[in-house]
Amino acid sequence: MSLALVFAIAGLVGFGVHLITARSLSRIVLGFALLGHAAVLALLASGGPAGDPPLADRATSAEMANPLPQALALTAIVISFGLTLFLLALARRQHELTGDDLVEDDLEDRAVSALADAEAAETP
Amino acid sequence: MPFVILFVHAAAAIAAVVTANRSRVTAVVAAALAPATAAVWGFTALLDPDTARAASFTWVEGLQLGFDFELSPIAALLTFAIGVIGTLIVIYAHGYFGTPEPTLGRFLATLTIFGGSMLGLVWADSVWTLFLFWEATSVTSFLLVGHKHAGSGARTAARRALMITGAGGLILLAGMMVLIDATGTHLLSEMEAVTGTTATVAAVLLVVAAATKSALVPFHVWLPGAMAAPTPVSAYLHSATMVKAGVVLVAIVSPILGGTDAFTYLAVGLGAATMFWGAIGALRQRDAKLILAWGTVSQLGFLVLLFGVGSAKATFAGVAVLAAHAVFKAGLFMIVGEVDIRTGTRDITELGGLHRSMPVAAVVATLCGLSMAGVPPLVGFPAKEAAVEAALGLAGTERLIISAAVIAGSVLTVAYTAHFLLGVFGPNTAGPNAANVDTPVRPRRMAMTAPAALLATASVLGWLFDGTASKPITRAAAALNPKADVYELINWPGATTAFFVSAGIVAVGAALGVARSRMLLDVPRTIGANAADGLLDETLVIARRITARGQHGSLPVYVVTMAFVIAAASLIFVRPAVDSVGELPLADSPGQLALAIATVLAAWGCTRVDSRIGAALALGVVGLAVTGLFVVQGAPDLVLTQLLVETVIVVGFVIGLGRLRRSFPVTGARWQQIRALVAGLCAAGVAAALIAAEGAASSATAPPTERLVTEAVEEGGGNNIVNVILTDVRALDTLGEIVVLAVAALGVIALGRPALMTAKTPISPPTREEVRA
Repeated sequence: MSLALVFAIAGLVGFGVHLITARSLSRIVLGFALLGHAAVLALLASGGPAGDPPLADRATSAEMANPLPQALALTAIVISFGLTLFLLALARRQHELTGDDLVEDDLEDRAVSALADAEAAETP
Repeated sequence: MPFVILFVHAAAAIAAVVTANRSRVTAVVAAALAPATAAVWGFTALLDPDTARAASFTWVEGLQLGFDFELSPIAALLTFAIGVIGTLIVIYAHGYFGTPEPTLGRFLATLTIFGGSMLGLVWADSVWTLFLFWEATSVTSFLLVGHKHAGSGARTAARRALMITGAGGLILLAGMMVLIDATGTHLLSEMEAVTGTTATVAAVLLVVAAATKSALVPFHVWLPGAMAAPTPVSAYLHSATMVKAGVVLVAIVSPILGGTDAFTYLAVGLGAATMFWGAIGALRQRDAKLILAWGTVSQLGFLVLLFGVGSAKATFAGVAVLAAHAVFKAGLFMIVGEVDIRTGTRDITELGGLHRSMPVAAVVATLCGLSMAGVPPLVGFPAKEAAVEAALGLAGTERLIISAAVIAGSVLTVAYTAHFLLGVFGPNTAGPNAANVDTPVRPRRMAMTAPAALLATASVLGWLFDGTASKPITRAAAALNPKADVYELINWPGATTAFFVSAGIVAVGAALGVARSRMLLDVPRTIGANAADGLLDETLVIARRITARGQHGSLPVYVVTMAFVIAAASLIFVRPAVDSVGELPLADSPGQLALAIATVLAAWGCTRVDSRIGAALALGVVGLAVTGLFVVQGAPDLVLTQLLVETVIVVGFVIGLGRLRRSFPVTGARWQQIRALVAGLCAAGVAAALIAAEGAASSATAPPTERLVTEAVEEGGGNNIVNVILTDVRALDTLGEIVVLAVAALGVIALGRPALMTAKTPISPPTREEVRA
């Protein structure tokens, strides 16, 4: 691990979270993609310093990068890929139904909130 | 055997539900069979006490997860009582519920499950098993109390019972954890007596937990309310089961925690207060069932007081009163139910002359009542006598206080017994229609009278054959306090001090009771219960307000809130992170530094670009930069995968967002943008701190690369170690990953299809003409 990787991960998480606080679903997709990159890099960084590719016939185990986090990171890449595409499909569907891809407030939650406000108004 | 009996209970519950609507008798027999098996097992244990009866099932070894049952002598006694009374209750319920009764199946099933839970509770040896069944009795008793759920009264009472006993369950859990800490074992049978601060904390928690279950002051408010339940429930819950759980808890922890002052003071204090307050409450009631309910509260206080004192004689007296109370209180409740069904009222100001019209019930109630008052020739007498002797046998201040409490409490017990018997069966002297008119009664139902009569007979037999009856009681008491094995029930003690004290108690109490029954008091207001309900309602209102504030429906605010909470929780990692930053190298290579900067710049670009396609391209740049980092790190498989994925994602963006407006809609005020920015900064800080702290930890140990290499080549048969890990070591995970992708693909296909469902006009199949055309 190096400070450069810490910097990259922190940057990706920061901009990722910033993006998923948006109302536009396509921005949220971007945010998730950035967070996915950050997760993969974090897995990789926790495995130790950089090294040669973990191929038994081309490198010695002393110079090799830790292969274990790479195997985990592969899964992470694939899953975040599936998630990103699914979110994109959702955004497209949202656009077809509403003409836009904005995430509206949850109406049920609003109703609960209004109920509590009404109750508060009743009891002095 | 415990597992078999519990299984029988579960099976009987199912059978009762299934058969109740078709054949009522089948359902009743099935429900009665379950407690009967428990009674038989309990009886064999009483006959043959030297055989150890235990069973356990271990699920997870190291976590103490599993069931541990052991039939201690007191558990054997209670098993017999729960089984016998349970069987009688089912028969009684058959008479109590009229025909047809659509809810009978549900009732019998719940009652059976409740009985099974209670048995599990008294058999439990592991504290976890005890807790599990304790909670099970809370939940099932909630269902039983709320059986007539159409009425709001029953619902309120059931909720109150659940909240108080449920809260007690949590306190029990806490107490048990402290107890395990103090004793070092989770098996009750292996716990040694402990003292000290930990033991004191455990004692306080456990006595309070017992107080909620056994309706001790100030938690007693749920018990009178529970009278909204059908009478068979009251007769079962408030005699041998439910409320006894707390008493049993106090009894079984008394050898362990009895040495702590907190245990003694709290148990004796709560017990004495409850004994008085319950008895006074009983004297103030006009509803016959409520008199018994408050009487039960009083008796429970008496029992906890005796176990709290903890001397050998007091423990013996406690077990004796425990057994006697189960018998007489079940009988009394049964009679009240019969009076209720046959006259249509339980208000003693409306009842008159029942000793003429219901003679059998009157005799049964008198026998049970006299047992409660501690009058010979009934088993309650030697039990009460033992309690008086235990109190008089103490020394010093303790003798004075305990004796005063026991004697005064007993006087009040006699008084409310007289109040009850005269009120229900005597002439109507106090009511508004005190013209000595007999209340009209309906015909007797044998299924109701017979169980009560059996219990009354048992009280008499217990007095007659005092030697036989006292054996299991002595054994149970000796298991709690070894010095108690010299005591037994004595049906006629002769002219001892305790005997004269008892005679005085009965005389004064009876006079008080007769005087009370001639007065007409107002029905007392249920202040305590109202306060408990008010507290609950207020809690719910506050909960709704908090929900309204915290869950108001806006996704961005949720995300921001989560970011802040996680940031706050991660503050503890800041320190090790700062330490570790100094140890980390700036970069593994110059290329890594350049690529890291490129990654962050491109990510920043994602947030700044207004056009959707531009943002997608920026994301592609991030992906390429990250791929570059993989190259530097030495991960060729990741590089290949990432390139492929990145290509598909960019295509996906173009297809997915192609039809949307070119640029992102402008949303949010300035403060919202600032909020999002701050959230992003917090998240970045947290990520940096966590990763850096982890880096310091992981760099301390070298990765097991060498072993991975040899095993991949020799056992996996591949040179690419990452691939071997994926296909051999994590094969199942990889399969799961493929499933996830397949599900996502299905979702994408389903969402991507033309929007058939949203078409404004319903789509109908083409008509014949259209097809021809």
